[in-house]
Amino acid sequence: MPKKQNKTKLFLLVLIPIITLLSGCEFKDIDKDVFVSMIGIDKSEEEDKPYKITLKLYVPTASFKQSPEPEYSYISHSGETLTEAIRILETYSDKELEFGHTKLIVIGEELLKENKAMELLDFLMRRPDIQLISWVAVGRPSAEKIVKMIPKGENAAYPALFNYFDGIGTESQYIVSTYLFDFARRMKESSIDIILPIIEVKKEESHFEVNKSLIFTNDGEPHELDTYATLLVNMILKNVEVADLFVKKEGHYFFTKIDSIKSKYKVKILDNNQVELDIKIHLNGFISESKKALDPEELTYYNQLFKQEGKENFVEALTELVKNGYDPIGFGIDYKARTWHNKRMTDEEWEEAYKNAKIEVEVIPGLKSTGAIQ
Amino acid sequence: MSSKDSIKWIYDQFKDTNELIEKNMEYDNKHLLLFYIKSLIDMDMLEKFVIKPFFEMSSEEQLNLYLHALPQFQEITSKEQVQLEVMKGNTLIVIQNEYYLLDFRLSKNDEVNQTSIETTIHGSQLAFSDNLATNINIIRTNYHQPSLTVEYIVEGEVNQHKVAIIYDKDKVKTNVLDTIREKLQKVDKQLISSTTQLNNYINDKPITIFPQMIMTERPDRIIYNLAGGKVILFVDGNPQAVATPAVFFDFMTTMEDNYHTFVISLFLRILRYAGLFLSLLLPAVYVGVTSFTPEVFRTELALTVAGSRVGVPFSSFIEVLFMLFFMELLLEASIRLPKAVSATATTVGGLILGTAVTEASLASNIMVIIVSAVAISTFVIPVNEMAFSIRVVRLLLILITSVFGLAGLVLGFFVLLMYLVNMDSFGEPYLRIYAFSKNKKSSEEKT
Amino acid sequence: MSRYYYYLILINMVANIIASVPAILFQYHKDGAVSSMIFGIVAGTILVTVYTRFFNAFPGMTLPDLLKKTTSKWFYKPFLVLLAVMWFLAGLITLVTFTFLLIRYVTPEMPITQISLTLILSVIFGCLMRTDRVLYTVELVLLLTFPLILFIFYKAYSSKSLNWDFVKEAALYVNQMPHVNSFGACFFLFLGVANLFIFNRFFTQKQKFKLKHISIIGIIATLTLFTTYFIPIGFNGFESIDKLVYPWISTSDSLRMEFFMIERVLFVFLFFYLGIAFLSILIHWHVSMEFLRFVFNLDNIKFKGFKVGKFIPVSIFIAISLFLVRRLNEYQLFQISSTLYNGLVIIFPLMIILFFFIKRRMKDAEEAKQN
Repeated sequence: MPKKQNKTKLFLLVLIPIITLLSGCEFKDIDKDVFVSMIGIDKSEEEDKPYKITLKLYVPTASFKQSPEPEYSYISHSGETLTEAIRILETYSDKELEFGHTKLIVIGEELLKENKAMELLDFLMRRPDIQLISWVAVGRPSAEKIVKMIPKGENAAYPALFNYFDGIGTESQYIVSTYLFDFARRMKESSIDIILPIIEVKKEESHFEVNKSLIFTNDGEPHELDTYATLLVNMILKNVEVADLFVKKEGHYFFTKIDSIKSKYKVKILDNNQVELDIKIHLNGFISESKKALDPEELTYYNQLFKQEGKENFVEALTELVKNGYDPIGFGIDYKARTWHNKRMTDEEWEEAYKNAKIEVEVIPGLKSTGAIQ
Repeated sequence: MSSKDSIKWIYDQFKDTNELIEKNMEYDNKHLLLFYIKSLIDMDMLEKFVIKPFFEMSSEEQLNLYLHALPQFQEITSKEQVQLEVMKGNTLIVIQNEYYLLDFRLSKNDEVNQTSIETTIHGSQLAFSDNLATNINIIRTNYHQPSLTVEYIVEGEVNQHKVAIIYDKDKVKTNVLDTIREKLQKVDKQLISSTTQLNNYINDKPITIFPQMIMTERPDRIIYNLAGGKVILFVDGNPQAVATPAVFFDFMTTMEDNYHTFVISLFLRILRYAGLFLSLLLPAVYVGVTSFTPEVFRTELALTVAGSRVGVPFSSFIEVLFMLFFMELLLEASIRLPKAVSATATTVGGLILGTAVTEASLASNIMVIIVSAVAISTFVIPVNEMAFSIRVVRLLLILITSVFGLAGLVLGFFVLLMYLVNMDSFGEPYLRIYAFSKNKKSSEEKT
Repeated sequence: MSRYYYYLILINMVANIIASVPAILFQYHKDGAVSSMIFGIVAGTILVTVYTRFFNAFPGMTLPDLLKKTTSKWFYKPFLVLLAVMWFLAGLITLVTFTFLLIRYVTPEMPITQISLTLILSVIFGCLMRTDRVLYTVELVLLLTFPLILFIFYKAYSSKSLNWDFVKEAALYVNQMPHVNSFGACFFLFLGVANLFIFNRFFTQKQKFKLKHISIIGIIATLTLFTTYFIPIGFNGFESIDKLVYPWISTSDSLRMEFFMIERVLFVFLFFYLGIAFLSILIHWHVSMEFLRFVFNLDNIKFKGFKVGKFIPVSIFIAISLFLVRRLNEYQLFQISSTLYNGLVIIFPLMIILFFFIKRRMKDAEEAKQN
């Protein structure tokens, strides 16, 4: 079969020069790369170089069994643009900086107040090697502090801070986790606002605190949500599956452990550009702690209390948000998803309508037990 | 053919042999001439069936009839046949100027072997023997169909071995059979001693990585293949048969699949294919990930790999080849070594070398794990020939990956598939997915 | 219908997720992309039906065979060359797109020539295979890659981050008039059926093609288009979706596999879509190669006894693709694909007229034979 042999010959003729010519020029072993674990972006003191970038780098060790203590190195530099800073940072390291494993981007609180988020986003989104599933968070007092801290008991190869956000480690109800792509879409969309978790380090302490969040519109001043408001937003956004809520009413004071949360929200359009925000939340769980003895037969009554209490709290927190025009939940999109695009209010009209919206919250309680004791 | 001339001719033919024995017996008006080669025949049989009766029979006529009635009796058609058959262990008898052949062949190799290559837990543990007649006997006892046909061809100019072509007349594809016959006629080799040797001579493409005939020592596999319409080739003196046309999936089945319950054999099949993919791709993936795209794996894993490579003086590509080279050496060595030593050799090689290599950081820990995983999973492939092919292809994939990266590996794998699909085994596509229902008339045909 | 027939159609549909189709649709996300999709599905299904019916009437015959029997040389030779160029371009677009993807996301340090060579070399010899072997390859590669691609789709649909409000918002733009460009992009999804021009050689028996089969194709097309268009919107928001260069890459990077060895779905998506791209190029270039072989009688060109004819288009293909890969930028690629899709919208429905002509002639010829 000369035809087939010919094919093989031709193939070899093509292949051999290619292999000899091309091999070896971009071959770079994994130990010549250094992985960036976190990026911290701060406002710098210098006038002409507004950005200060801090990188946390993994230091590879031969065996994690032999050295369970985490080891990192840090480099930081200020620059006029982020890219410039990173270019200089590359000369600080003998190995190639590899951003493909970056999981957390911490933005300093100061920088956010300067309204530089759009620029940051442009940089982060344009680089193909930064994961869109990395988390974005706000660092307080500064991103550098957060990035450089190693809390006690941290594992090698998996910074403790990741555990707060990945939903596998701690599952606290007060933690909002925002992926980079979520950050981007909230940023670009006018009808939903950005919500970012705040990572705090208190001066003399050696652990993080992640229980507040920061809301900001595309151009406005950031607004801080306190712990309880963060929880409520989390519950409406279905970010959490378990929660602890308390009821303090009519002489009763008990805590409930909620193990299943189902929420629905929608925008009802009334006349004259008046809207109503409708929220329905199913909370199922049991009572986990009480100051007073409880009677199982009175469970309906406790549910009633729980319902009232829940409603009051929700309405209060939401009113606070709505009054200021913040919309981290996305009522704006929900509205857009319900009306034809040519019959919608303009963005300004919507903003006005949203600020004056009626808030209707219905809590459907489902306390099933008073716990293991009465 | 006058008697004198013929005897002279026989003398001529065997004048170089000193083992030809001529026995001229005359007694009581009876006359018998025997020619045979001493080392090839069964003396007891000769004595019992020819010499004793010769002295007991009353007449030459009776003796002649008696000899005709013997089951070992064979007519002569040509002079050349005489020479050939005598060389194979027949005894030439001249009586009343007539020539006959009697088959008193002595074969010491007709015992059935134990399976040694394709061992199974369940099912028969017996393999074929070295003797062709015994093997055909085994097949016939297991496959009771009158349509089972055996044809013989003599191959090898010097050693003149008998080759048997066995097939089921009702099921075999005639075009396959014709090609095989034709190809077998064309083979002109001095020495044919094994069926696998035929494998190389009958194929269209002498340079091919994958076997186009399946070699086996198990009777049950041969029966299974016969029923599937395949052609079986046997060479006398060789305990392995080859079946053809063979497709890729034949090499991935073991007979044991039929001896387990459905779920178990499904599980085993999945395991086997996983092993196949692992042994093919794992080293190449290592090269691709460590040297081209370290962001593919999750961070913890990437860090472990990076950490274990600290201090290794080679780049990943050399590291893989280095370790695989030693693994291949170890495998080869353990085949050649006497059984008593080979266990020690593998221990020394595998355990001590592996540990020492990582201690000296000539290779990373992960690499040692990968190489051993690859070695183990190669053994999962049931037919040995395929395992050899996979070992070669693996190297090619490593080469491609080290030039083109992970994308090259993926594409290289697809090219491998394409190569297999494009290959023919006696007119059958080597690799293709068959329709689920075989009864349904296929709505398309070969172009 | 034979399962191989569905593969031809399916690959063209699924392969477009990485090509420019979603990008073109998002360009018109406020100007009738949704209505174009609906029109595209209807028009496309009709086209598929007509094409399939036509080729079903002549089992085992390729378009060149039919043209040779019914039309004269001056018509069919240039016409087939035009078709060959179109198929080559269709394959080339996928090739260039994927080369760009690989250089951007997998091996940024590698020279672009080398990356494109990987793809070209792996495909080009496959194009010379026999038609049935091409289909067997298609089946095998699909079997290996498709389950994981379905898994990624499942992962996307079940993700908590998928915001259905964005999807609804986008869907409410349905009352816009459709746009030619977006219609062309949707229509292109259905043109897998045109591969029957050559692949009909494989289907030598008359097949059943009833309403059931048509509706299967319609449903698959609807699901594919829906996924193509709405899933990226659900992940990346509606307003600025047209700003994304590779919407589906960004979408797959928004997915996370918490417990798997590979955490970023992006890479799984890229490597398994490489298989689909490979098949898409393989099919298109095989068709193109066969057209050229037929027009120029390549089998008869010999050099020192070897049949070298086949290798002439091979070298031309390699040369042109290498040249264009280095030359084009993302924007030009986008423009070329958009133009090609628009051209196809005109050419392929017009081809139906040609079919009627061929059918008449064939009937006449048959009647003449009977008399």
